[in-house]
Amino acid sequence: MSHSPKPGPTPTPVGDILGRSVPRLEAREKVTGRAVYTDDMTLPGMLYGALLGSPHPHARILSYDTSRARAMPGVRAVLTAEDLPDHRVGSVLKDQPLLARGKVLHEGEPVAAVAAVDLQTARRALQEIDIQYEVLPAVFDPEEALRPGAPVLHEQRDTYLDFQTASPERARHPNAASHIRLIEGEPDGVWERCDVIVEDVYETPAQQHIYMEPCSTLASVDRDSGKITLYTSTQSVFRVQAITAEALGIPMSRIRVIAPRVGGGFGGKTEMTNQPITAALARAAGAPVKMTLSRTDDMRMMKSRHACRIHMRTGATRDGRILARKVRIVYDTGAYADDGPFVASVGSYFARGPYRIPHVDIECWAVYTNRLRAAAFRGFGNPQIHFASELQVDQLAEKLGMDPIDFRIRNALETGERWLGGAPVESGTLKDCLERARDASDWVRRRSQRAASPGKRRGIGVAAVGHVSGLLGSSATVRLNEDGTLTVNTGAVDIGQGSDTALAQCAAAALGLSLEQINYSGPDTDVSPYDWCTGGTRTTFTVGRVITQACEQVKQQLFEHASEMLSRPVQQLELRPGGIVGVQGAPDASVTFGAISARALYFKGGPIIASSRWLFPPTPIDTRQTSAQGLASMGNGFFVFAAQVAEVEVDELTGKVELLEAWSVHDVGRTINPAAAEGQIQGGFVQGLGYALTEELVWGEGHLLNPSMSSYKVPGALDVPVGIHPILLEHPSGEGPFGAKGVAEVSLVGVAPAVCNAIRHATGATVTRIPATGERVLRALLSREEAGSKG
Amino acid sequence: MRYAEPETVEEGVTLLASTEHSRCIAGGATLVAMMNAGHIAPAMLVSLHRMRELFTLTESAEGLWIGAMTPHRVVAAETRLRGSMGVVRSAAGQLAHPSIRNMGTIGGSVCLADPSTEMPVALVAASARVEIAGPNGRRIVPIEDALVDRFKTSLGRGEIVTRILIPRGVEGAVGHHLRFSRVAGDYPTVSISLTLSMQGDRCVHARVVVGSCGPVPLHVTAADQRLIHSVLGEDDVAAAGQLLASAASPLDDVRGSAEYRRMLIPRLLGRALSQARELAHV
Amino acid sequence: MSDKISLSLRVNGASHALSVAPERTLLEVLREELRHTGTKRGCDQGSCGACMVLVDGEPVFSCLSLAVTLRDREITTIEAVEAGNELHPIQRALVQHGAVQCGFCIPGIVITAKALLDRNPHPTVDEIRHALGSNTCRCSGYARIVEAIASLTGERP
Repeated sequence: MSHSPKPGPTPTPVGDILGRSVPRLEAREKVTGRAVYTDDMTLPGMLYGALLGSPHPHARILSYDTSRARAMPGVRAVLTAEDLPDHRVGSVLKDQPLLARGKVLHEGEPVAAVAAVDLQTARRALQEIDIQYEVLPAVFDPEEALRPGAPVLHEQRDTYLDFQTASPERARHPNAASHIRLIEGEPDGVWERCDVIVEDVYETPAQQHIYMEPCSTLASVDRDSGKITLYTSTQSVFRVQAITAEALGIPMSRIRVIAPRVGGGFGGKTEMTNQPITAALARAAGAPVKMTLSRTDDMRMMKSRHACRIHMRTGATRDGRILARKVRIVYDTGAYADDGPFVASVGSYFARGPYRIPHVDIECWAVYTNRLRAAAFRGFGNPQIHFASELQVDQLAEKLGMDPIDFRIRNALETGERWLGGAPVESGTLKDCLERARDASDWVRRRSQRAASPGKRRGIGVAAVGHVSGLLGSSATVRLNEDGTLTVNTGAVDIGQGSDTALAQCAAAALGLSLEQINYSGPDTDVSPYDWCTGGTRTTFTVGRVITQACEQVKQQLFEHASEMLSRPVQQLELRPGGIVGVQGAPDASVTFGAISARALYFKGGPIIASSRWLFPPTPIDTRQTSAQGLASMGNGFFVFAAQVAEVEVDELTGKVELLEAWSVHDVGRTINPAAAEGQIQGGFVQGLGYALTEELVWGEGHLLNPSMSSYKVPGALDVPVGIHPILLEHPSGEGPFGAKGVAEVSLVGVAPAVCNAIRHATGATVTRIPATGERVLRALLSREEAGSKG
Repeated sequence: MRYAEPETVEEGVTLLASTEHSRCIAGGATLVAMMNAGHIAPAMLVSLHRMRELFTLTESAEGLWIGAMTPHRVVAAETRLRGSMGVVRSAAGQLAHPSIRNMGTIGGSVCLADPSTEMPVALVAASARVEIAGPNGRRIVPIEDALVDRFKTSLGRGEIVTRILIPRGVEGAVGHHLRFSRVAGDYPTVSISLTLSMQGDRCVHARVVVGSCGPVPLHVTAADQRLIHSVLGEDDVAAAGQLLASAASPLDDVRGSAEYRRMLIPRLLGRALSQARELAHV
Repeated sequence: MSDKISLSLRVNGASHALSVAPERTLLEVLREELRHTGTKRGCDQGSCGACMVLVDGEPVFSCLSLAVTLRDREITTIEAVEAGNELHPIQRALVQHGAVQCGFCIPGIVITAKALLDRNPHPTVDEIRHALGSNTCRCSGYARIVEAIASLTGERP
């Protein structure tokens, strides 16, 4: 086997599979209920696991008494931190124990675990665990947590393993998980050169993923070898393997992770969920343990999006050019860092937006508070900063008397220009996205004619979006079967977004096979080639690339055989649909993949197989352009662009906002499966609509007040219009498979600002805090009316 | 936990009266959700599913008697609920979402006495009466007397709600229910149930009840009186709304602050009245 | 510990003799006793619709239905929606319209759509959206689900 570290030329698709809305490979098993998710599995002798959550937001653990729980009939294992190795995990800053150790840092934090013969017994046993606490003062606001004298969550923070670059400011603030500073140009002296300036404070909520399938893990331990097998609902089998090894002090060679069907993730199933603790229970009980969280436990114990407060000032000149920006971003990362330092890095990296702004000063914090830990969530720090930025861009356009789309186009980065930090934009298509959005939405007419229903006001708003697609490492193996069909192995997890199908289409198109001729195998750390994670809008882009590269090598091997079999030079050969190598211009001269494979297996050359690997090349910060401090670099990715337009009606009586219609224009590079891409865009838009209008975890004194789907509301079928129009532009990239780029996260990023800009267009009121609930919008309307009547 | 499925109301009463911590189970929509969440663990469940009389609907001179086990879906489709009685039908058709309407029952709504659900509000607007069977026989009480506080009724130990009378109400009146919620299917932030009768431009009857704004549905006679004999002009509605808002005692919760709810009352009252007038074609 | 109650439950046309505690929900009995795992557990509170089944033809939350209260009722789960090995038209439409993403909500949505079309073969788009009021989908934004169901009725969203 060989690999090619450099990308080959983008292959030409063979046959008609690429760009077709073929049904998903697993659609049939999903509509019949036969698809197997983790909780659908059972093993002989299987026990049920459950977690006990902390009743306090911040408290010292004085003592445990688990004797009554251990003595209950049917209870097989009871664990607290005292029973576990003192190891902490985290993607950047390793601060999180499997169960609270020494202190509890948020209400609901897992503090004990039980395995029992059934779930009822396990839950009753949790009630019999007696833990003595000393309640400590807590801090729930990240700005307060930064003040001197605030309660400190992680007294031992500086002893944790940490992969961030140094920041003296972080060192001075004991509750800071991250502190980042990025400066370009001369931001201090530039403000008097600005003709218009807008400045405000923006607040965004802790949104929760509400993947439909709650977190679930089934762990079994081989009694002889000690090897642990985990079936789990995750976005990365390889990260679970590494984290479980790290948490339990077991070599990765003794851990196998398999992802059955996964019922959504959206970032919430990256890094650790409940896998290591379930493995620990199975080891302690000597039997398989399945732990599926109840929805309420999932909401109290797992993760959310980072709540964020952003103080931003942006200035522009009379000729419509954005000149300067100063921004202070404070992400609330909750009790543990998880992906918070990465989120802060990515958020800072997007703080200039998809625009050329010569002078910027960015300060960004991720701060510990006694709330649920915040982590990855579709958009990864970018929806927060886009909310502030795209509202300000609209206000600047208004002050300058310019159309919001024209103003954005004037400032949009183009191909060859540099992103914040100096990375080149290879495919600067924002202008095209904005122009297409203007045409598709009939922007000019709708912007000027605003006939609304009685008692309602209508408006239309836009947001420009810049995001990245890519990140980190992937690999794939492609192997020709004896009959000429193909087996494709990757470690990528399809969490519902459709990557299995898209990747199978990539392989089929690369070699001219039908989908029936592709065996696409699921992720299993024992046999799959490495893939970092389903996240960062990267799977189709990155894994698709390594698959097509491996297919290219398989093609070369096929051609070498065919050249000898057909007595023609390789240069005269071509792939034909159906698994055939033929001679160009000679329709009758051909040989099937099956015949070639048989020759390779039994006569000459050996099995036809190839693998490929890729690490998305990190672009270091160009220090001539940018002064940078405190970044947790995970590389960046390939820049991708979109434009999102929302038309809304605002109810004058209640302030409630209704989305009437939306257009979401995305440069996807090259469409692999239109239905899948469009479905991602529509779904991301609606998740963004929830973020914009209704979704928010609410705490009272550190206690989560809405840990259920009846109190935390995501949009339902009646809350969204059917008219959410996905529009795919195709400007092929030089990097992705057949030119494809990623789309999944991008579709959420601009929704909240597009909706809030539409609210402003409808009412004149600026909403700087989302979700834009009826209450907040009504108050904004009334205070505007009041100001108007005084003025 | 024990479980029983008596066939008659009287047997059920005897069981409930003789067992500590026993609960009736009707549609289950709320009771089972509370059991699943670990909020309650009754010692005994007495199912009402076999009590045939609880499923009957009977029309009388006074109005329509609705058996306590009638699901909201059936109430929502009941064409005999017309005129001012329509307020109950209107609320039943809008509350929560389809599967809850399939499961939840009118009697269950009364017994739950949740001030943030619609049915109690509509029943107060309709001046409904509740028949209660207990160890000392049956009694009929106005709905206001049955609803005592948040999640609290005046039912004593061993008592079962058997049926609810929706009286015919004022001749020529219409009934209407307006709900306002964060998203479709959520508990209402504020709801308004009303019955209304107009003669020309002038209101001759109004009965307005507000939900989600206090421990029980809020009915303020002075607010009704402010509307009666008026032309329901902006000032009239604002004044009546203000009377209701100042009598309201809403709580802050994730669906809205108390202050927002108070703001909404006069605003939604105006909308509810104009929708009701459209129904009445006046 | 609770008393166990003996009862016979009719699921997808077959009778099952069971002994269950009164607090056991139909969802638990379906998934754990009968191993009908197509019905999903999403919230345990009647808020997500992943557990939807038909009881006497009406869609109800199996997570809020106690099994002991359902004797003599006709229960239909996702496992019985196919006819032989043939997908039901609703299932076929969801597949063909690309409406299926993570799939966890889909059995409940198939059940809801089946109840709707059994009662009303030609619902409007608004009737479809109202019927889906008890089902949450977090992946699709609903557009393709509504479109797929509407395709069976000749309606265009």
